[in-house]
Amino acid sequence: MMMGKPKIILKSVTKYYDAYTCALSNIDLTISEGEWVSIIGPSGSGKTTLLNMMSGLDTPTSGTININGTDLTGLGQKMLAKFRRENVGLIFQQHHLIPYLDALENVMTAQYFHGKVDREIAREALERMGLGQRLKHRPAQLSGGEQQRVCIARALINDPEIILADEPTGNLDMKNGEIVMGIIKQLVDEGRTLVIVTHNMDIAKQGRRTIQLVDGKISTDSSRQTHNPLETSVGRKANSPPTSTGSARR
Amino acid sequence: MMFLRIVARSFNRRRPRIAVAVIAVLMGASMTSGLLTVSTGIEDKLAKEFRRFGSNILVIPRSDTIELGFPGISFGSVSEQRYIDESDLWKIKKIDEWSANVLGFAPMLYQVVQVEHEGNVQRAVLTGTYFDRAFPDLTKAGEIWSTGIKKIASYWNVEGNWIEDDDNGSVLAGVSVAEKLKLKLGDSIYVSYENPETKSTTTEQLSVAGTVSTGGSEDSQLFVPLSVAQRISGRLGKVHSVQVSALCVECPAELIGAEIEKKLPYTQAKTVKQLVRAEEMIMDQLGQMMLLITVVALVASGTTVTTTMMTTVMERRREIGLMKSIGAENSTIASIFLAEAVIVGVTGGFLGYGLGNVLAQHIAESVFSAPITPLLTILPVTVGISLSVAVLASTLPVRRAIRIDPAIVLRGE
Repeated sequence: MMMGKPKIILKSVTKYYDAYTCALSNIDLTISEGEWVSIIGPSGSGKTTLLNMMSGLDTPTSGTININGTDLTGLGQKMLAKFRRENVGLIFQQHHLIPYLDALENVMTAQYFHGKVDREIAREALERMGLGQRLKHRPAQLSGGEQQRVCIARALINDPEIILADEPTGNLDMKNGEIVMGIIKQLVDEGRTLVIVTHNMDIAKQGRRTIQLVDGKISTDSSRQTHNPLETSVGRKANSPPTSTGSARR
Repeated sequence: MMFLRIVARSFNRRRPRIAVAVIAVLMGASMTSGLLTVSTGIEDKLAKEFRRFGSNILVIPRSDTIELGFPGISFGSVSEQRYIDESDLWKIKKIDEWSANVLGFAPMLYQVVQVEHEGNVQRAVLTGTYFDRAFPDLTKAGEIWSTGIKKIASYWNVEGNWIEDDDNGSVLAGVSVAEKLKLKLGDSIYVSYENPETKSTTTEQLSVAGTVSTGGSEDSQLFVPLSVAQRISGRLGKVHSVQVSALCVECPAELIGAEIEKKLPYTQAKTVKQLVRAEEMIMDQLGQMMLLITVVALVASGTTVTTTMMTTVMERRREIGLMKSIGAENSTIASIFLAEAVIVGVTGGFLGYGLGNVLAQHIAESVFSAPITPLLTILPVTVGISLSVAVLASTLPVRRAIRIDPAIVLRGE
């Protein structure tokens, strides 16, 4: 059952890393606006590759990818970079913060690449993540959970409509994992489209749609009614401004 | 601001590696600066050193040569004795193109005389010349240009006093003559000249004002003002030859000689080729050696910068991948690394300029026994070259950086 207009459309996407390694095979997938889709599967099944395709970090060997109305097929590096900074927010398992910049500067870096640096907005974004006291701390001085929250603040700072998260709680303890997932749920509640790669079935079940990949192919695509953002909120574009991550709302 | 912050923080974090790159550029820059300072300073210094050994152009009158002998057998030749008019000498300084390079000249009038002192009699060459003769209005208005042997032959070692050009009663004795005649300063000598044509003898009493030592033929000559020699020999207003000292760093002496011949058509100007050639050869070799050392130093520093930057790129590949994944364009990544290269190049250039001057002083004092003045004009050249080397050396690492695939490095491969 589709909800809202299609946000992510993959048609016959195949990815070969070399002649013998097929990461994705003939993937057809449509994800709608405001949907939370969890991608599960064993290691090496192509989950991260699929996510990279959606973010434009990787390109398919064949097939087409249309994200948020942009056909990524055939875009050059410059346009792909522009697409990423304007459309998607990436959350990584390993946080990937710039080690010599403090929390605030890490968030401002994403603003800089987007072309508009606003220290106050970056500060507010971190404060909403509960990091108001950690603005001047460098990644090495932050806990894993705090680093992941900085990463989320950075992913949201340019107000992307699509959040792509790759094992966002994979390196966190239970308590920090819950904090991070609480924030991620709010993002979907605000009407953003979320695609999350996870090994954790408890996290996967929180979304209303789960896709299982096996050997680069979709083995199951199941929808459930556990979470339907469009039923709880009409959708972020048509709704009132979100509250929890309003830092990125401008 | 954010760009500068990224560059500055990155710099601060990698100080040891940056220091290596700066030191590499500094070494190349110091060689560039040092050798440029030495070569510029020493070229002038060397030219003056050569000048110290006297003139490098000899002007003599053209003369007709008569071959002697039987048909098919030559016994040699005789030349008609001709002179250069003293009244034409000022023209040497007024040549068209290269007049500024004419540093000085000294006319020469020679005659063999008999010298007597306290009963000792010797034959010697009496040479009339200018010592430090002033030529008013020959150069810029209000400036008096002076010339003479004192100016063009600073290698002369004179004990006692030089002679003024209007001093009619003094002589400067070469050390060999002085030794043979046991001359002391202030002694009187009698100089006699017999005119070969009239057979009449002119004798003058002269006082020894000083002795001169050059290690050359001057040691066995007596020097008097030109007017005295002309009076004794009866050749008023005549000179045999003129020694010209020309500055020949940037111009060939032959050109100056040709211009002198143009002004004094009855003369021929011969360059002291050996001296000039030696001068040119030494300067050429000096320049080539310095160029070679500088190029080697710059290549070495460029290689070090490339290696250091390449290591930096490898160390920062995840950071680069991350920046790309959050929307940084290749041009932004490149500009971050190029900005670092610019800072390394400029810092190394400035420090290298300072070190280069110390190096130049050391070379100048140990090799040429003379201090050298630091030239500020070499600073922008040094910084420019260092900057170019650093940026050029960073090209390969920057290309490597922009080719980093974020999808690969972010998953830890």
